[in-house]
Parts: sequence; structure tokens; C-alpha cells
Amino acid sequence: MTAMRRDLLLCGLFAAAALAWPMVSGLRYSVTQTTFFFIWATVVVQWNLVFGISGIFSLAQVALFAIGAYVTAMLGYYLGTSMLLAMPAGAVVAVIASIALGLACLRLYGPYVALLTLCVSQVLYVLIVNDTDCFTHPPAGCMPLMGGVRGFSRFGDLGFRDWLGSGFYIGNYYVGLALLTAAILFSILIIHSPMGLAFRALRDNPVYAAARGVDRFRYQLWIFGLSAFFTGLAGAFYAVNTGVVGPVVFSFPHLLFLLSMIVVGGVGTVWGPVIGAVVLMVADELMRELGDFRDIGMGLILVGCVVLMPKGLSGLFQSLSARLAGPAASAAEKAK
Amino acid sequence: MPLLSCRNVTKAFGSLMAVSDLSFDLAAGEVLGIGGPNGAGKTTLFEMISGQTRVTSGSVVLEGRDITRLSPVGRCHAGLARVFQLNTGFDSLTLRENVLVAAYYGRAPRRMPGFRIPSEVGDRVQEALCRVGLETRADRPAATLPVIDRKLLMIAGALAMSPKLLLLDEPVGGLTQREIDQVAEVVGRVAADGVTVVLIEHVMRFLVQLSSRVMILHHGKKLYEGDAAGLSRDRDVVEVYLGQGAGREVARLAAGREQGAQHAG
Ligand SMILES: Nc1ncnc2c1ncn2[C@@H]1O[C@H](COP(=O)(O)OP(=O)(O)O)[C@@H](O)[C@H]1O
Ligand SMILES: [Mg+2]
Repeated sequence: MTAMRRDLLLCGLFAAAALAWPMVSGLRYSVTQTTFFFIWATVVVQWNLVFGISGIFSLAQVALFAIGAYVTAMLGYYLGTSMLLAMPAGAVVAVIASIALGLACLRLYGPYVALLTLCVSQVLYVLIVNDTDCFTHPPAGCMPLMGGVRGFSRFGDLGFRDWLGSGFYIGNYYVGLALLTAAILFSILIIHSPMGLAFRALRDNPVYAAARGVDRFRYQLWIFGLSAFFTGLAGAFYAVNTGVVGPVVFSFPHLLFLLSMIVVGGVGTVWGPVIGAVVLMVADELMRELGDFRDIGMGLILVGCVVLMPKGLSGLFQSLSARLAGPAASAAEKAK
Repeated sequence: MPLLSCRNVTKAFGSLMAVSDLSFDLAAGEVLGIGGPNGAGKTTLFEMISGQTRVTSGSVVLEGRDITRLSPVGRCHAGLARVFQLNTGFDSLTLRENVLVAAYYGRAPRRMPGFRIPSEVGDRVQEALCRVGLETRADRPAATLPVIDRKLLMIAGALAMSPKLLLLDEPVGGLTQREIDQVAEVVGRVAADGVTVVLIEHVMRFLVQLSSRVMILHHGKKLYEGDAAGLSRDRDVVEVYLGQGAGREVARLAAGREQGAQHAG
């Protein structure tokens, strides 16, 4: 079985299990939390294409997510656009923004890409929070163009409330599942395609890759553009699902939480980010009661993972299975 | 028209002239061997031909087309393939994937890469692996390879690009006698298939055996250019580079090469 077939099969199994989960769990809380998992996992699966597969240290993904969320919310709020149109529009704007960022990063390497992309998202955050000029005057008072500190609410939803009543969250759950499944399928296709090969070659050795005909500029732009679509769409769905979009989506702790998912799960593999998202969300949930110690706990998990498992959980699984297969394989050799 | 023509190429690193006003032509089908002491500017010359470094002045012409300002990627697609002096590779990729990168991207520009590998490309990868004898280990990761196989893998990658001109920078540096013979056989067959080759090498046995013409560089300038037999008769070459003992050895090797050629002819 090729690696691609194996990953597609795993994706199918995952989707099937997730389809049944609301029926099995029955708890509203666990269903809505899993919907959030779908959103964060979508972001990190796409981020992994840039960070893990292509080796570009871009921190832009959170800003792209926020752009998708804001565009969706603003279209709904100001123009009354249907969410079914506003969401893909948010994704497309995220793609355009990402290509522009990719162009700006073309001549930068390593940590400088991280600095530039982090700056962009923090500048957006500051611009939104500090904008106090009223753009419109809703009954509640004053609304800055980008929503200011409070952000946007009541800009529309996907219609599940009318259709399913109090069970609307189930509708959102399945939309989230569809989103993540599509994002994983997309990532599998990219990783196992010639384009994924170019990204991995560039990550391993950019000079040698250029000497073998791989054009770094072109493929860096491709990966910035491609990875932004589902990231923006995840932001758009986040907006619709929570019903509120505020500057917190740009915040630095939020960025670190997502980055930790990739690091804990394992950089550069198809399933690492998904595993990391599960582990960190469960850990976050278990430490809910700990108050301030929760951040310390998260920090400890992150440090522990980096020190003990530099290749993340997926790397650990791989070396374990290799070790288990090892004795069996050498026994088979002897038997010959 | 020569296949490759370097005209007055010069590379200055600050006040250091790594290559200085060097000109030479290369006809299709030739094998040019370049020797010279460490720091003579051999690798720098390759960097300028394959585009990793910009020339300070002068021009590089391939098949009548000035490629001096072309990017390394553009030069690949123009028909130039370089094998690096250091052991370079895509460590996290398998051997097959290493060669696949070159076969898929190295021949012509790809506007938008597809989602499948065309079977013709897969065939070319297999053929390149066979030409260097790595086909049985194709699915191993490149990081685990011993030095000799890394050198062969780099050559396989270059061959998968179906180059008109192959640049080899010290392809047998650090190898044992047997391994040197193994690489010589591979390169000999490539040259016999009609690929034009420029090779840099300190191992005189390898250089003399394969080259139809030899050029010795010293301080970025041409010290000698001619056939291998003339090397040991050139006092400057013996003094600066070969030394007396090696000079006699080279004379013997060159004589052996002449005889071999007569037998073949
Ligand atoms: N990037 C560089 N910057 C400064 N000096 C360099 C650089 N690359 C090479 N050199 C110098 O240029 C000279 C020629 O180097 P090189 O072409 O590597 O020699 P060779 O391959 O013949 O041993 C050496 O003196 C080397 O130190
Ligand atoms: Mg050198």
C-alpha cells in the first residue's frame, strides 16, 4: 500500500468515527468542543504545509485565520451578505493576503520570515484595538470599521437555528467535520504530489533544489496561497460557529496554542498536527479547573515534548513501530 | 559552435581574484578535466557556469546563448547539470524521490505542477538509478547512505535531467581505489553516451583516464591546457601542482590511456 493510500484510508476512518461521535457522546458540551477541535485542527493541518512540509517559518496562519473571520463577519454585518457567500469570500481574501505576504517574504530566510509575519499579525491586532472612530452608530452606541475591542456579533449564521432549533450545534458540528476532512484530504494530496516533493526538497536544501530545477520563489508563493484557503475558511466558520469575532483571534497566546499543537504532534507529517490538536485540546480541558496553573501546565507539556520527543508524538509512534517491526524483520532474515 | 564557451570570466571576492580573466571553449562530446591546487578557483568557476554565483565580469555562453544572467533554475532547463563537491542531497527523501525531483523539475519549467507523476518521468528516474547502480536501494532514505552512494546519487540526479553538459566537482574525493574505479566506470559510460562532461578532480588517475583534454588552474588563471600526455612535460605544472613523483605517475597513466585508445581504435 502506498503512503498516499494509507493516509486516505486513515482519513476515511477518522471521518467515519467523527460522523458517529454526536450520537455516541450525546453531550452538547463535548459536541461543541469537538467542533472547535475541527476548526483548530484545520488551521494547524494547513499551517503544517508551510511550516512542516516546506520549512518556511511563517507565523502568518493566525492572521490569515483572523482575516477569514473578519471578512465574513464584516460582510454579514455591513452588507447583510449570506454566510454561504461570505465564508468563501473570507477564504479568498485570506488567499490574496497570503500571496501578498509570500511576496514580501520571498527574499527572507528562517527567523526573519517568522519576525515579518508575526509583525503583520500584531500590527493588525493593534490597528483594530486602537481604532475608536465610529464608522456606524448602531443602537448600542458606536461601531468602529473593524469592530474595535468588542468586535462583531449578530452578523448571521448558517440557518441551523431555524431548521434544527436548539439542536443547531449539531449542524455546525457536521459543517466543521466537512471542513476538517476537506483540509486533511487537501493536505494529503499536496504532500504526496509532485508539488509536495518540491516543498520537501526546498526544505531539505534550497541551493541543491535550485540546481535540480525547483524554483523557490514560485513554490513559496504556491504554498502561501494554497495553505491560506482552508485557513481562511476555518476562520470564516469560526465566525459563524461562535457568532462573535473579536481581536482575540489575533492574540499571541492563541498563536502559541496553535503552534504548540504542531510541535507536540510532530512537524512535517500528515497526522502530527491532528494528533497534536487532540492532545492539547484534551489537556486544556483537563486543566480547566486549575486557573492560572493552566498556562504553566501547557508550558510544561510543550517543553516536555520538545525535550523528550523532538519529532513529536507522530515521530514517537514511527520509531516505536520501527522498533517493534525491527526484531520481527531480523527474525525473518534469519529464517531464510 | 562550441557547446560551452567561457569568455574572460572573472570572480573577485573583495581583493581576492578567485578566477581571473579565464577563457576556454568546450565542444560537444568532449570530456574536459580540470585540476589545480586547493583554492585555485575550480569550484568558483563551476559556480559561475551553473549560476550559484554571479560573475564579476565576463560571460558564459551555452550553445550560442548567453546564460550569464540566468538563474540556476533557468540554467538547468537550458541543459546544464552540476554535481556538487560536498555531499549534497535531500536527506528526508528516499533515493527515488531524490532523483524524481531532478527528473520532474530539472528538464523544463513547470508552470503548475500536477498531482501525478507522468510514467515517462518515472521511467527516467528508474533509468538514472540503474545507470549508477542504485536501483535496488531506491526506497531507502538518502540520509542513511555511505559516501560513495551519495556521490552516485548526486550523479543519478544530474543524469535524470538529461543534461547536455554535466559538471562534476571532485566526484571521487575521499573514496577508496575500488570506489574510484566504480565511479570512473559510471562516468565513462555517461561520456560514451555522448554527454559532454567537465570534471574537477585531484585524483590524477581518474582525471587522466577520463579526460579528452586537461586544464590546470592556479590562482584563478590557466596554467596549462592540452592533452593529458603533455602534463608531465610541462615544467610549471610539475612544479606547482604535481611534484616530480606524481609527474612520472601521470606520464605513465597518460601513456596507458594512449595505448588503450589504440586498442579500441
Ligand atoms: N564565497 C566566498 N567568499 C570569499 N572567498 C571565497 C568564496 N568562495 C571561495 N573563495 C575563495 O576563492 C578561492 C577559490 O576557491 P575555490 O573555487 O573553492 O577553489 P578550489 O575549488 O579550486 O579548491 C579560495 O581562495 C577561496 O578561499
Ligand atoms: Mg573545490
